Amino acid sequence: MEKSIENIWKEGFLKNDVLVAPTLNNLYNQKSIHIIDKFKRMFKINLIAIVGFSSLFLVVSFFIGIPLMGIIFFVTLSVLVVINKNLLNGIEKIDTGASCYDYLKSFNLWINKQVNINQRLSSILYPIFFLAFILGFWFKEVEGIYLGERLVTKLLQLFPNMDLLFGLPLIGIGLVVFTMGLLAFFGGKIYQWDLNIVYGRIFKKLKELLTDLEKLNTQNN
Amino acid sequence: MSSDFYNTSILPFAGIIIKLCRAYTNSQEDFEDYYQEVCLQIWRSKENFHNQSSWSTWVYQISLNVCLTLLKKKKNNKQHFVSDHLAEEETENNYAFSDESLNLLYAAIRKLAEIDRAIIMLYLEEKSNQEIATIIGTTPNNIGVRVNRIKKKLKIILDGKVN
Repeated sequence: MEKSIENIWKEGFLKNDVLVAPTLNNLYNQKSIHIIDKFKRMFKINLIAIVGFSSLFLVVSFFIGIPLMGIIFFVTLSVLVVINKNLLNGIEKIDTGASCYDYLKSFNLWINKQVNINQRLSSILYPIFFLAFILGFWFKEVEGIYLGERLVTKLLQLFPNMDLLFGLPLIGIGLVVFTMGLLAFFGGKIYQWDLNIVYGRIFKKLKELLTDLEKLNTQNN
Repeated sequence: MSSDFYNTSILPFAGIIIKLCRAYTNSQEDFEDYYQEVCLQIWRSKENFHNQSSWSTWVYQISLNVCLTLLKKKKNNKQHFVSDHLAEEETENNYAFSDESLNLLYAAIRKLAEIDRAIIMLYLEEKSNQEIATIIGTTPNNIGVRVNRIKKKLKIILDGKVN
């Protein structure tokens, strides 16, 4: 009797040899390349975005009367971009001919180095950004007078006995220095938080892949 | 991809992935490439799975999309590099199962249109019309009608081969 296609299908696949899954020998290499390429792409986009933002802000700052803030932001962010561009060049030096595990390990070392440098930089950059913000508004001219000078005059009218240092309220200097200190202390943490928002998923996949390969290596030994 | 993820989330569905990949490839080498790419894509897109369908439906959907994409890429490449005569020859099966009837059925399935191949295989895997419709992106009624047509087509192809 002629068999129906349903029976041919069912009976044909009853034999165990038919459905053997192929070994995933090349999969880890493909995934490593995928993760690293994605990271490189995101890193480059990030640097381009910083350059774009700082340039645009520099132009805008002149129009809105806070050029000092624009210049400081631009210079600081340019230094950050140059440092990170040099770091990015380091990825190209990682030996792509190495085994998948070694390649990922080298990449992981590179990331740790990059994070470390940027964490230290953040402790300097965040206070500078804050100072740039303060100075930018301090030296903003309104009707021929700096906003900072107006503020001091107003404060002296309200508190005539206020202590001054180089013509600036001591308490104000104290507050600025304190905030800068806080930002310097927590700069690394803020950077880490920022980093996780942007690259968190990639780092998670990288960690997962490395753990997996480490497991495979221990199983094979 | 952790081996845990592969073992728990892909391996239970390896059967249907293998069957689908075989229906869209003509050599063991291509089959392994397709299978690997499907696994890679499932792993890549696991975070996009938000329980809008069952995990198995999601896996079938990705498998089918990957197979169709790779097939399209391969066809485009062939149009540039290979003569029509050679392309025709390649539609013959270059690897085989130990069951002769299954070989004939697979050869017949490979002659179907790309989407029809997926529909008939999901049908043969006893998926409901509703689930097939979700995977393909149509209505269960359409699937019902289409399955009958495909079965008739397959019968004609198989009869022709057997005779």
